[in-house]
Amino acid sequence: MTSMNPNPNRLEDVLKQALRREEAPDNFAARVLTQAAQNSRARETRRESWLGVFSQPLVRWAAFAAVSICLIAEGVHYRNQQRERAQGEAAKQQLMLALRIAGSKLHLAKEKVNEINTSRPESQPESRTPRSQS
Amino acid sequence: MSTTIHKLFLIILLLAIPSVLRAQDLKLPPDVEKLSAKAKETVEVNMDGPMLHWASKFLSSEDPEEKKAAKLVENLKGIYVRSYEFADEGAYSSADVESLRSQFHSPTWSRVVGVRSEHDGENVDIFFRLENDKMAGIVIISAEPKELTFVNIVGPLEIDQLSDIGGEFGIPRVKTKPLSSKSMAKADKGEQK
Repeated sequence: MTSMNPNPNRLEDVLKQALRREEAPDNFAARVLTQAAQNSRARETRRESWLGVFSQPLVRWAAFAAVSICLIAEGVHYRNQQRERAQGEAAKQQLMLALRIAGSKLHLAKEKVNEINTSRPESQPESRTPRSQS
Repeated sequence: MSTTIHKLFLIILLLAIPSVLRAQDLKLPPDVEKLSAKAKETVEVNMDGPMLHWASKFLSSEDPEEKKAAKLVENLKGIYVRSYEFADEGAYSSADVESLRSQFHSPTWSRVVGVRSEHDGENVDIFFRLENDKMAGIVIISAEPKELTFVNIVGPLEIDQLSDIGGEFGIPRVKTKPLSSKSMAKADKGEQK
């Protein structure tokens, strides 16, 4: 086994060499801080350029007006929908009432015809043909 | 002589055309409206084609009655109802009702049922309008001692479906046989009595 690794301390030396502590260059910290400051400034500049549109009063008012119009339009649309639904429900009730009245009167007619039908003996001769129309 | 008869016939024909057209487009006789002044309670329903179809959009397909109603009205062109309830008997005269009925004495209308009941004073007339042997409308005139009802349904409809709806709205269903020609004849006899 040892013949395969004649100098076991060599690996240790290599590792020590590779992992040895080294001092940072003199201006390393300054460079990092400068770079970080530059990045931060760039981000702020981008944000300021986007929000800068709203710095003008006209744009602010226009945006406010647009949002207000959208909210009002949505409110009106919702109200119209509610009103239309209420009117539709009322119309449906009217329709059902009309059908109910018509149906009940048809029933009444059937009932009357049935009453007459049952109150007269079937043996009575039929002297007339069904009445038709005027 | 013959030309005079021809001219006379033509004049009669020309005079008759508007009344026939009126009968076909009939919605509600003006005489009915007069009775509302005397009525204690009035039900008025006026639904023309577009209104009818709009209203039918709100009928629920899950409710069995409304489902039937939707099917019934899908081909209708209008429903017009006047129902007057009076405080006392005799608020309307038989002449009022007769003037109503007389508006349907035209070739376009067929009186299929006429019931006259002397013991409870309930009289019902049902007129059908036929076009090409198909039902194109129905008018029901129901005159009771304290109530007068006029229903005009314009357009093709199934009478059984309408009858079904009437029987499902808290009104007890009456077990009746279908209206046969025999029973109609008997009903008519009752009227003649």
